[in-house]
Amino acid sequence: MMTVVTGGSKCGKSSFAESMLDGFDNRKLYIATMRPYGEEALTAIERHRRLRSKKGFETIERYTDIGGLSLPEGCGILLECMGNLCANEMFRDDRITDPFLTITDGIRRLREYASKLIIVTNTVCCDGISYEYGTSEYIRVLSRINTILADMSDNVIECVYGIPVVLKGKLS
Amino acid sequence: MIMITGGAFQGKADFAKSNFGCKISDGGSCDFKEAFFAECIRDYHLLIKRLLDEGRDAKEFTGRLCSENPGLIVIINEIGCGIVPLEKKERIWREEVGRAGCIIADNSETVIRICCGIPTVIKGGAE
Repeated sequence: MMTVVTGGSKCGKSSFAESMLDGFDNRKLYIATMRPYGEEALTAIERHRRLRSKKGFETIERYTDIGGLSLPEGCGILLECMGNLCANEMFRDDRITDPFLTITDGIRRLREYASKLIIVTNTVCCDGISYEYGTSEYIRVLSRINTILADMSDNVIECVYGIPVVLKGKLS
Repeated sequence: MIMITGGAFQGKADFAKSNFGCKISDGGSCDFKEAFFAECIRDYHLLIKRLLDEGRDAKEFTGRLCSENPGLIVIINEIGCGIVPLEKKERIWREEVGRAGCIIADNSETVIRICCGIPTVIKGGAE
């Protein structure tokens, strides 16, 4: 079972995504994709760790190449978040690379291991601002990845100020 | 409490006026105290910006507003669905609007999202 959870900034995506694995009776793996650089990232990571503690997740920090992970069969996986993974893959060298295949193939690998796969992503396309090439390319690629993930998924949930809105499938 | 959200210029205030016939206070300019007596407040995301400009705690204010004016209709834009802003002040505002919006949604019996003038009830029942 695969679920995509999307939404804007601080809309309750994480806590909703975590709750989807409440009561899951096998190992629960949390793949953290945010690089721990800078004060704000560290604060965000610390906050997420605190909110996630006692929920039984094992944390794996992985900033690129998620397809290279070797994971136990039948586990529950929560990947957070696609927005960071996409940026990490795109801007890893001096030039901008298109991470579409690396990421979608990686997700297919995770789906083979996981009996329940939850992916938290971001809706980044709705501020109406025209950005320079790198950022506009990021918006394009992330949106395209989100579209493919949604197509692969059983459920797609958008969080709006903490309210889960079902776009595909069901809440569970 | 009723919450009306959606992107900019989607007809949120018109919806509030025509459905609830309420007097609407302007979160972009009204006195902070007015929120506690208002029937409806629009641009609550701008009220949050003004609170932050004064160094005040937007989440605490919002929580208090929910308990002291539980009949309020809150209109708040969705502003978080874009790129993380370069300016730290803008980033903090965007995140605080997200968190305060979650508090309002949690305290609302009904939450309505308006897109192109079309309302969708995303929490509770329509009145």
